[in-house]
Amino acid sequence: MATHTPKNMAERKYQKIYASDPLAEANPDMQEKVGQLEKYIMKNCLWQFNSRGWDRRKQNAGILGKTTLLLCDEPVDVSTRQEKCYWVDAVCLDRAYRERFSWIKALAKDDIKALMKLLHARMDWLTIDGSLNVELTVVNY
Amino acid sequence: MPYHEFECSKVIPERKKHAVIKGPGDNATKALPLGYLNTIPGSISERGCAYCGAKHVIGTPMKDVIHISHGPVGCTYDTWQTKRYISDNDNFQLKYTFATDVKEKHIVFGAEKLLKQNIKEAFKAFPEIKRMTIYQTCATALIGDDIEAIAQEVMDELPEVDIFVCNSPGFAGPSQSGGHHKINIAWINQKVGTLEPEITSDYVINYVGEYNIQGDQEVMQDFFKRMGIQVLSTFTGNGKYDDLRCMHRAHLNVLECARSAEYICDELRERYGIPRLDIDGFGFKALGDSLRKIGLFFGIEDRAEAIIAEETARWQPELDWYKARLQGKKVCLWPGGSKLWHWANAIQEEMGVKVVSVYTKFGHQGDMEKGVARCGEGALAIDDPNELEGLEALEMLKPDVIFTGKRPGEMAKKVNVPYLNAHAYHNGPYKGFEGWVRFARDIYNAVYSPIHKLSLIDISKDEISTEQRFQTRRMLSDTNLPGDVTDSTELREYTGTYDPIADLRKKTYPGFPRAEAGAVEVIAE
Repeated sequence: MATHTPKNMAERKYQKIYASDPLAEANPDMQEKVGQLEKYIMKNCLWQFNSRGWDRRKQNAGILGKTTLLLCDEPVDVSTRQEKCYWVDAVCLDRAYRERFSWIKALAKDDIKALMKLLHARMDWLTIDGSLNVELTVVNY
Repeated sequence: MPYHEFECSKVIPERKKHAVIKGPGDNATKALPLGYLNTIPGSISERGCAYCGAKHVIGTPMKDVIHISHGPVGCTYDTWQTKRYISDNDNFQLKYTFATDVKEKHIVFGAEKLLKQNIKEAFKAFPEIKRMTIYQTCATALIGDDIEAIAQEVMDELPEVDIFVCNSPGFAGPSQSGGHHKINIAWINQKVGTLEPEITSDYVINYVGEYNIQGDQEVMQDFFKRMGIQVLSTFTGNGKYDDLRCMHRAHLNVLECARSAEYICDELRERYGIPRLDIDGFGFKALGDSLRKIGLFFGIEDRAEAIIAEETARWQPELDWYKARLQGKKVCLWPGGSKLWHWANAIQEEMGVKVVSVYTKFGHQGDMEKGVARCGEGALAIDDPNELEGLEALEMLKPDVIFTGKRPGEMAKKVNVPYLNAHAYHNGPYKGFEGWVRFARDIYNAVYSPIHKLSLIDISKDEISTEQRFQTRRMLSDTNLPGDVTDSTELREYTGTYDPIADLRKKTYPGFPRAEAGAVEVIAE
């Protein structure tokens, strides 16, 4: 029987990054914009809800990181299957954001990066650090 | 935390943390019921057991396999033929089920000899079948029968056969979900990587967490074939045992029901570097996005777009016919696990109904995170409800229709709430563009059918009106619709066939030339 011993046990015992909602101290305009982007993800996407916290961390970073690059028309790494898998979700998110939120196309690159950084922090808070889901810290699948 | 305490459960105070009402701005950091815990004593749960979850949900949809329960015959009866996971080999796995029929004397003296005899008899009775799954039950687990050893003995004696052993007795978890977990991990540990497949396409997927309820898998497989994608295996609906031994060779795992099958996807990602892509086969937008993503992954998005355009043009006018007539209808979305989040947003956006409650019998908190996120404010989310809570919720919410399983469905019918079977469907398949219209049609008929009003009449004593002898669609659902809807020449009701799967099975597909060696993009694993 091919049993398996995980090699990434340290990663699985992850530490929390955020102790409180990082969106709470943003200005109202930023809160409104991040709220729109967050709502689209929560209603239409599934990638943010892998079952374990360490995977959610990677999913959020991989997909929102690539979405940021796409929104800024910058090149994206698709050199491995996993990177490519993040990229396909990022492409769909990039397209949806441009189509639904016309204001995003008017932002400068630095503003997009700041906005997406806050969205990323907010998603980490909602799905990992602030989530009430007690199974996120289980170290096995 | 906006917990909701049912009046009927005040005597079971632990139940309070298993229900929440989503308030304005609430999310998983504020409103999330407990989940995947042992059922609280005193609460009569509607859950199944871990044996049932392993065998009935995941194991048995494999189509070319003798499925044996090692235990009393009642365990087998309770997992046989209660779900419509059909197959294209004349439904072998539905027609035949096997039990070792353990009795008191076997509990006293052991049942291993009985098991071996049963295995050999079954293979002899069906000589064309060379694959078998064996399921542990509570009784044989407690007496310590070594099923693996017996299976190995038989495989040594009959080298042409292969046997999978699933050690998931009924008590091995809080609910059927414990069995889903055990069989996922057992399959990858025992069987994945033990056979090498023939690769026939440049684009190879495992389709995971799909059980071919009334043909769902065959609908989705049609889309994949039209895109030139090889479905190496389906875990497990309409799936072949040997295909599932080859899962390690896919390029991508396409995951549908994360509740029952994310474990094997996560393990395949970690052990073999195969990425996990979560998809939704329900709903026009979600399905379109899903096909698009798979197309993007393989660099064949144009093939996905062609299918989306063709299917949308064919079926959108029919979906919109029902949407116009279902506006604002209140729905209790009370399935087992994954459909609470697969359906919650799509039925509101694309059918116009309002989800007033979601519940799950065996879901985890992760399922409720998705479900609560996808339903609106005011929705009541319940984990592992008991029957009295269900009745109280129906009285409080007064839904127009409920989507659930047979047990709560019967209860809903008694209080005159129309019920659709969320697990086995009424007139499925419900996946695919056409399937989504079939679901809308079933909802429409559930909401508007005059049978529900008639069922309230006691014909032994109530007065029966003789003035209104019939009711038509126009009287039932169209009276308040605007003229541009009722007079539309574009919108139309469902025009598909009774059995769309029969035609799919006769279908042939165009060949897609494979790239020359070296021409395909090299991607590190």
